[in-house]
Amino acid sequence: MAENARPDAALTGLDGVPHTGEAIGADGMLVEPQAEDFRSAKLAPREPDWFKGAVFYEVLVRAFTDSNGDGTGDLRGLASRLDYLEWLGVDCLWLPPFYASPLRDGGYDISDFRAVLPEFGSVEDFVYLLDEAHRRGIRVITDLVLNHTSDAHPWFQQSRAEPDGPYGDYYVWGDDDQRYPDARIIFVDTESSNWTYDPVRGQFYWHRFFSHQPDLNFENPDVQEAMLDTLRFWLDLGIDGFRLDAVPYLFEQEGTNCENLPRTHDFLKRCRKVVDDEYPGRVLLAEANQWPSDVVEYFGDPEVGGDECHMAFHFPLMPRIFMAVRRESRFPISEILAQTPQIPDGCQWGIFLRNHDELTLEMVSDEERDYMYAEYAKDPRMKANIGIRRRLAPLLENDRNQQELFTAMLLSLPGSPVLYYGDEIGMGDNIWLGDRDAVRTPMQWTPDRNAGFSSCDPGRIYLPVIMDPVYGYQALNVEAQLNNQSSLLNWTRRMIEVRKQHHAFAEGDFTDLGGSNPSVLAYRRRWRRPDGHEDIVLCVNNLSRFPQPVELDLSEHRGARPVELTGGVRFPTVGDLSYLLTLPGHGFYWFQLVEAGDEGETR
Amino acid sequence: MNPVTEQHDLVDKVMAELPAWLPAQRWFGGKDRPVTAVRPLRTSVLSAADPVLLHLVVEVEQPDRREPYQLLVTDVVENYDATTEPELTGRLLDLIAGNASVDGLAFAHEPGVELQSGLRGRTITSEQSNTSLVFGSQYILKLFRKLTHGENPDLVLQRALHEVGCEHIAQPLGSITGSLEGLPTTVGMLQQFLPDAVDGWAMATTSVRDLMAEGDLHADEVGGDFAGEAQRLGHAVATVHGDLERALGTQHADAEDIDRTIRAMVTRLDSVVEAVPELRPFVPALRAAFEQARDTPGAIAIQHIHGDLHLGQVLRTVQGWLLIDFEGEPGAPIAERTSLRSPLRDVAGMLRSFDYAAHQLLVGRPEDHQLTVRALEWSRRNRAAFTEGYAEAAASSVGDPRERGYLLRAFELDKAVYEVAYEHANRPEWLTVPLSSIARITGEGAR
Repeated sequence: MAENARPDAALTGLDGVPHTGEAIGADGMLVEPQAEDFRSAKLAPREPDWFKGAVFYEVLVRAFTDSNGDGTGDLRGLASRLDYLEWLGVDCLWLPPFYASPLRDGGYDISDFRAVLPEFGSVEDFVYLLDEAHRRGIRVITDLVLNHTSDAHPWFQQSRAEPDGPYGDYYVWGDDDQRYPDARIIFVDTESSNWTYDPVRGQFYWHRFFSHQPDLNFENPDVQEAMLDTLRFWLDLGIDGFRLDAVPYLFEQEGTNCENLPRTHDFLKRCRKVVDDEYPGRVLLAEANQWPSDVVEYFGDPEVGGDECHMAFHFPLMPRIFMAVRRESRFPISEILAQTPQIPDGCQWGIFLRNHDELTLEMVSDEERDYMYAEYAKDPRMKANIGIRRRLAPLLENDRNQQELFTAMLLSLPGSPVLYYGDEIGMGDNIWLGDRDAVRTPMQWTPDRNAGFSSCDPGRIYLPVIMDPVYGYQALNVEAQLNNQSSLLNWTRRMIEVRKQHHAFAEGDFTDLGGSNPSVLAYRRRWRRPDGHEDIVLCVNNLSRFPQPVELDLSEHRGARPVELTGGVRFPTVGDLSYLLTLPGHGFYWFQLVEAGDEGETR
Repeated sequence: MNPVTEQHDLVDKVMAELPAWLPAQRWFGGKDRPVTAVRPLRTSVLSAADPVLLHLVVEVEQPDRREPYQLLVTDVVENYDATTEPELTGRLLDLIAGNASVDGLAFAHEPGVELQSGLRGRTITSEQSNTSLVFGSQYILKLFRKLTHGENPDLVLQRALHEVGCEHIAQPLGSITGSLEGLPTTVGMLQQFLPDAVDGWAMATTSVRDLMAEGDLHADEVGGDFAGEAQRLGHAVATVHGDLERALGTQHADAEDIDRTIRAMVTRLDSVVEAVPELRPFVPALRAAFEQARDTPGAIAIQHIHGDLHLGQVLRTVQGWLLIDFEGEPGAPIAERTSLRSPLRDVAGMLRSFDYAAHQLLVGRPEDHQLTVRALEWSRRNRAAFTEGYAEAAASSVGDPRERGYLLRAFELDKAVYEVAYEHANRPEWLTVPLSSIARITGEGAR
């Protein structure tokens, strides 16, 4: 400990802010901020199943709005845009990590679970955001990385400096780098081993991600308690849930690939029990980039409606939506949905088209990955890790019809949709920025300086705003699209509104209707309302750029009438023959099937 | 009138209508000559009244030909055709579910199968030589229109495949057996229906359409590339061949078998060239190619095969590719349809089908060099992928078709000669498709 006298010495910018490791107790434990030290937010209305029908919106605090002119978005800035998000129809914000961090992995390298990254604001600012969001009926969840910390975290500093101290066993240390050889290396671009030698402690430490992110040792009961207390800290302040990052990797076991181990599930059950017992109505969302058959394990026991995470992302669906449209064939989507098992009653998938990471191609075969690279990453700079770093609009070559088709599928396939900030206006990306920053540029609000994101000197901004002639902020911004009724923004808002009018989109069961035309994906969502009435929605998507006919077998609904949901137009009644529809290139329909004699639209 | 008289009356009325009605039916196989007489062979009363539902086997007499057909008739519709009445056809499923016997018709479900009854049966329009009814979204019942004596190879082969656990067919669920000249004869076959299925022709032409719209991109560059599917399809076909071999055995063709096969090819060529002079320039090369098939190295295995394999006989489902319709070529005599033949015939049929899919958009269009090159590229790429997939899965059974290049080429050319005759008679605009293939294949030599 010669060079760093204090365990928090590696933390930067936290002077004068409560943080972990300012002092050490008599028992050798680091002093950590407590929830009681802060004001708590007023809670969101109690509504246990809110997440099943919610529209999520992933927003990077850094990228949304800068309230203090320092060139970086912050929590107060985000709070100032809540009216916009409420207008759009967003039910829940998902914030990637805003914790104290050296920012060597976009904030996923957390150096203090109980402090906010100073440039984003303070814990008080977060509570203010929560209050303002809850006032508008918007909930807020954030990422919590259970698996690892930054190497700057005072826990790790203590662990390496004092192997026999209370933190000595907080991480996975080894005398050699030979254990767990069957665990794959996730960041193949930058890491050559899951072990790295630490000269301070003279041992190797285990890390599934970057070498500056040592894995926590969940074998240690103290670590488990410490992480549960981390959950409690934010839940006490009023947060509505967590997206648990990198959950499959919590435990290690020789002779396995160290993913999805039973003890990992046991720990998640403990987390869930804390939520259920102490904070009902809050949610846990698993980030497990695995096959659906493995991911369902993270929902827990179906007998009790699920006793681990309430939600999990459906990762393989997203690349297949892209593949299906490019191949003009529904099979990539139909296949993955057919392989997706039932999930427990109390659970819901989260689905998305794009997020802050690259378009993940881990969950496709090698052959399919080559195909996706060829189709969607024409420039080598568009590739990152095992994926493609592009936003939705550029991925679709700025084709409005395809953007609408993709969004319509996102809003109607089974699962709660997660929008990525900026995609509602069709924002572009900048592939010349490093790592995954291509898709993390400032939100484009107005044609003014810095796109209305910040009043700072343009040179000070954290990433340049998009300025190219197609996606540049001067033409492509929220203000311009608000004023244009036919804009993508207004269209997206309208579709979210329609989605919310039919609970079948949220919880309806899903049936792939097949059909004679491979380029048309048609499915039915059927929801039985508590009063016994059924809300049946029929979605028909033309994955081809050419007009297509499709004959659907709707014999089960003979006599029913499809009513188009955006305009209310009543289509011909379903008869004995298969139901013929024609669609324009990349067109889609949403219908409600209304029983004979039942006039008008029911909801 | 008592019911029996009423039924006789109905049969008489139907008989009077049939000579005019039959030639208008898509499934009727005798459209080339007039119907001179129709006689009832057998009547089974499936429902005696309210409404009447009769199963008829009739003999259709035409010059030089007498053939048995089956009909389902009722008194509630003007043309007496009961297959279009969903309420009535549901009765067939109920009878199969109940293992019923009615007036010489034996309805039976496959052992261990439990069927849901009470479903309505609607006809599907894609059938050509038979009539198929779909019940709910679970079952499909194929009624063989022109009856062939004995058990239908479609049922025999699919049963055998199911018994060895073949994954590339729809599960057989039941059958209807009548009798023809004292011989038990399959008249209907019930199978699992796959509502999500799309036939291979629709899949392949979707890809071709994509390519043709991108004139400046190569077949391996466009989004709609089909090679992955083609390879998996090859895999499925080879697996079915391997399963047929496991289920029903294999033999080696002797010299006489080979000689007979090649003589049949030459005979076909001779007769087609009489009618289609455009074929004449290729005759020497075709003859040479047929003769060269004798030089195929190693023993040639023969076994039960599909017999009429093309892209329209395969279905893409979310579980993968399935093969359907194991009847063999409907026009061919039953002895030929049930004989042991080289699986390479099926491979050749599929290769020809890829060629057709590639060129179908060009038919009737003015000559466009760019599109012709693209079509050829698509065909080459997908034929190669199909063969590759087939070879992978056939390694331990039928073997790599590319090692039997002369024979495969001969089968393909024989099929193309057949197509020349067919197109000449039915769709003269399409004649260029098989002719250009023949020109290319004979010009390239065996792969």
